[in-house]
Amino acid sequence: MNRLVAGAAIIGLASAPLMASLVTGAAPGPGSQYAAVTPATANDASRFLTQATFGPTDSSIGAVQSSGIPGWISQQEAMAPSQSSVSFLQSRLSALNAANPNVKLKSWDFYDSFWKSSITAPDQLRQRVKLALSEIFVISFSAPGMDPLSVGSYYDTLGTSAFGNYRTLLEQATLHPMMGNYLNMLGSTKADLTTGQHADENFAREIQQLMSIGLYQLNQDGSIQTDANGAPIPTYNISDIQGLAKVFTGFSWYSTITSGKGSVTYYLGQQRDTNWATKSMVAYPAFHSMESKSFLGTTIPASTTPDPTGDLKIALDTIFNHPNVGPFIGKQLIQRLVTSNPSPAYISRVAGVFNNNGAGVRGDLGAVVQAILTDPEARDPNAVSNPTFGKLREPVVRLANWARAFKAKSYTGWWLIGDTSAPDALRQAALNSPTVFNFWRPGYSPPGTALAAQGLVAPEFQVVDEVSVAGYLNVMLDAIGTGIGPHPTNTTVGDVFSTYAAEVAIARDSGKLADRVNLLLLYGQMSSGLRTRIINAVNAIAIPAPPATTAQVSAALTNRAELAVFMATASPEYLAQR
Amino acid sequence: MTPRSIDRRRFLRIGGALSVLGAGTPFALQLAASGAASAATASDYKAIVCIFMFGGNDGANMVLATDDDSWGRYFATRNTGFSPIALMPSGIAPTPVGQRSQVTGRTALAGTPESWGGVLPITPSTPQPIPSGTNASARTFGLHPFLAPVKSIFDQGRLAVVANIGALTQPIVKSQYASNSPLLPGSLFSHNDQQSTWQSGLIEGAHVGWGGAMADILLGMNTTNTVFTAISPAGGALFLAGNTVKQYVVNPSQQPATIVTATQAAPLFNSPIAASTVNDLIQDTSSTSNFANDYAGVMTRSIGAAATINNAVSQGPSTTVPMAPNYVNPFTGATQPNPLAMQLQTVAEIIAAAPSLGLRRQVFFVNLGSFDTHDSQNTRQSDLLGQLAQGLAYFDSTLANIGGADLRSSVTTFTTSEFGRTFTSNGDGTDHAWGSHHFVMGGAVKGGNIYGQYPTLGVDQGSFYNPDMVGSVLIPTTSVYQYGATLGTWFGVGPSDLATIFPNLSNFASPTLGFL
Repeated sequence: MNRLVAGAAIIGLASAPLMASLVTGAAPGPGSQYAAVTPATANDASRFLTQATFGPTDSSIGAVQSSGIPGWISQQEAMAPSQSSVSFLQSRLSALNAANPNVKLKSWDFYDSFWKSSITAPDQLRQRVKLALSEIFVISFSAPGMDPLSVGSYYDTLGTSAFGNYRTLLEQATLHPMMGNYLNMLGSTKADLTTGQHADENFAREIQQLMSIGLYQLNQDGSIQTDANGAPIPTYNISDIQGLAKVFTGFSWYSTITSGKGSVTYYLGQQRDTNWATKSMVAYPAFHSMESKSFLGTTIPASTTPDPTGDLKIALDTIFNHPNVGPFIGKQLIQRLVTSNPSPAYISRVAGVFNNNGAGVRGDLGAVVQAILTDPEARDPNAVSNPTFGKLREPVVRLANWARAFKAKSYTGWWLIGDTSAPDALRQAALNSPTVFNFWRPGYSPPGTALAAQGLVAPEFQVVDEVSVAGYLNVMLDAIGTGIGPHPTNTTVGDVFSTYAAEVAIARDSGKLADRVNLLLLYGQMSSGLRTRIINAVNAIAIPAPPATTAQVSAALTNRAELAVFMATASPEYLAQR
Repeated sequence: MTPRSIDRRRFLRIGGALSVLGAGTPFALQLAASGAASAATASDYKAIVCIFMFGGNDGANMVLATDDDSWGRYFATRNTGFSPIALMPSGIAPTPVGQRSQVTGRTALAGTPESWGGVLPITPSTPQPIPSGTNASARTFGLHPFLAPVKSIFDQGRLAVVANIGALTQPIVKSQYASNSPLLPGSLFSHNDQQSTWQSGLIEGAHVGWGGAMADILLGMNTTNTVFTAISPAGGALFLAGNTVKQYVVNPSQQPATIVTATQAAPLFNSPIAASTVNDLIQDTSSTSNFANDYAGVMTRSIGAAATINNAVSQGPSTTVPMAPNYVNPFTGATQPNPLAMQLQTVAEIIAAAPSLGLRRQVFFVNLGSFDTHDSQNTRQSDLLGQLAQGLAYFDSTLANIGGADLRSSVTTFTTSEFGRTFTSNGDGTDHAWGSHHFVMGGAVKGGNIYGQYPTLGVDQGSFYNPDMVGSVLIPTTSVYQYGATLGTWFGVGPSDLATIFPNLSNFASPTLGFL
């Protein structure tokens, strides 16, 4: 209910179209305020779905056209989370163990669960936002001790809470054992004043710098506040980190034991519950600091009894209520879904919804997502010709775009695409970034580019280099031509493949084929140059005349479909989502 | 127009604020106008190779002061917690796993320092001055026990230690740190910002690194194939980005360039014109989107140079470069690739091919991670230092014989990392701090010595006052700028250009450190 209120508030914002036009420099067209409500065309729906999902399909385009964008978002947000990674991984382990009882889950089993849900799950908005959140609340298989089932549980948590309250998500992420393992809150212990041993500062730093408030005081529009000398005003300093670090002591693996919790070996996991992988960390009070803890203007006084959960609540409430959270998180979600360089006004509108969803609630992520996707700047039809609007599509999203648009299937049902993070593959795999700073930074500006010369950022360009641009094309060529992922019995085809049934059916008409690829991959914005290239290259594949066999004709038509799809996914204009 | 202009203004303001204070402007803003004073006519080949230890290496456990006074405070501070990270004193034999250590009284495990034996003594050719606060008549030093190959190269005179370096725009004393002086570099202790600062002089958002800026100056020495002037087998690196020079990213330990198979011979999807059409399409910069065109620009660089570099390293002296050795994990016994050595293999192959490519100056960037050892420092840092040592030794021996030629004097390799770590432990690891120690290796290096001032160790306690540390943070006494300027001078960059690349260099009494 709150979300509908919020959505209505955004759409009803009288000056919103004007703001959008100021940003893009275009005059507000008649009726443009309705653009957010009902996409008039399949192309509009496709463009919206490019931002909101892992890629448009025939059926999702139809659904958005019939429900309208706000209606579709509401339906999606109300839809229960589907296809948990944990259940996938448990089934996978059972299947593996049926063949060999000693086999354990590996990171690639999690990746396969990611591919299955991202490509096939009906709750696409949740899946897409889940990936976006995983690039803010980062954990990664690149660190030691990351358990695949538990990582799956973490990813499920991001999905379950994707449209809930940010405060809930913040606590769930904080207490998840894989976050605990990744950023070392798990097993962190209070200071020893005799030796100078101090509490581990890692999570205390990164929860502030990366997951909530960032380094500098922000205005609601995301701009940085400066002091009298023009220097940015920091949000925290080392003493805030040290104060918070004390709060984050005394938590470790989930356990049901009630006595012996003061034992170091118990604290470090000896008595952890068999379900530790999917359960939040719990308090071990003996290891929690009782010193005074000061951070972000809040002080928890020294105590004689450790109160880990009470202190944690105060700390997370303090972070949650910092005015930076709305613009800091809101801008990054805009960057993940819509555009790398949102206007201050766009950020401010989204942050405003974070601050108050219209029903007096702070932190309603469902309302924030709706605000991002229905914002006039996101929906502005002139954006598709704006040189600086939009973003580079994420590599894993590109592969999912293909699989969804062309109804790919998995021979095995396990979606064995695996790890795509090699430098000469996609340089990205979900939850496998090199560091907690994600694959790319929100402020990354690629050296030596036109974007950088204009002072613009392009975060996803941080994984663009001479190797990865070639690697991407080679991955797509394989995926489109023969399928991707190891097929269990046939070494010449991949596990995940498309038959291009709908495309083969029209492949005698290269114009129609280009138009269909245009709708699904380029929301109708294919340039005439690309269209001509596709048509000419496709027409050069002769369709054998009688007495050719059906198989020969079918092979030619399939080649035509695959070439058209490959050329579209290879084109720079596809890679730039607008 | 957009929030970007605000970010930009922020950087300019930082630069502006600093220049008021004499700290200069960001790196290399006016480099295009200079270059005359640099050695752009020499005929020799030189390369610098930056090894970035991502995550922040704990220098305090890499190069140690072993005199009784220093060691006593080190050991008392780090021999604490669930998993003490204090190394064993020099001369102590490894305690067999399962037996009780005479030093700590604890049972040695494979992953604890007791079983590794004492730190490895090194003797600098010039005695280190005794810093204020250190109560010793002579200073002695050691290396982490997993650095035996590094000790060997140090002892042979081709490797030097540079002590207590950090991001620093001018000398800072303890009172200035404590009062949060505006002279402090921005966003200390933040990984991304300090990675950027080490590589470019500015916090995140910078566009020019000092490796790229030096390459800009010396680009004229490369007669052909200038695209291969700045090379990274480690993905894109700010360090290599110049005003003119763009870095070229290659694959580690396989053919350097990845070929776009769709543009190659066989008819693509049975269309006779598809391959050439795709070749044009992917390099097309006629989009109305800057994102599309900037991407196509990288694609063009990739396609344009791929065959050249792959051909160059597939023949001649490049083929004599030995395979990077595998690494045996000292704790699990598992044999695994050494990611640093793999990158250095590619670097060596490209260096070997440089004459055939017409190149006389090259800058390389390689990396090793993840040194962010908040937890499990004993096993994690030791393992990484073992890989570092093996990688350095492999590179040293490889360069000694490139198709019969000894290129060690032409290549200088140096380590970097965003920051050092706290001197105190958090129980089983260390947290973000500031100053740290580094290695420089090569035939031109005046090795077997320690440059810069090795600091006084220990946290203030009772009457002990350490001018070099605030809390558990080491205040650097040597700037990255001096480190870079020393390398740059050897590389052939003249003083005026160095002053432009490192605008704060004049804030330091000696602009270069003498290790080359």
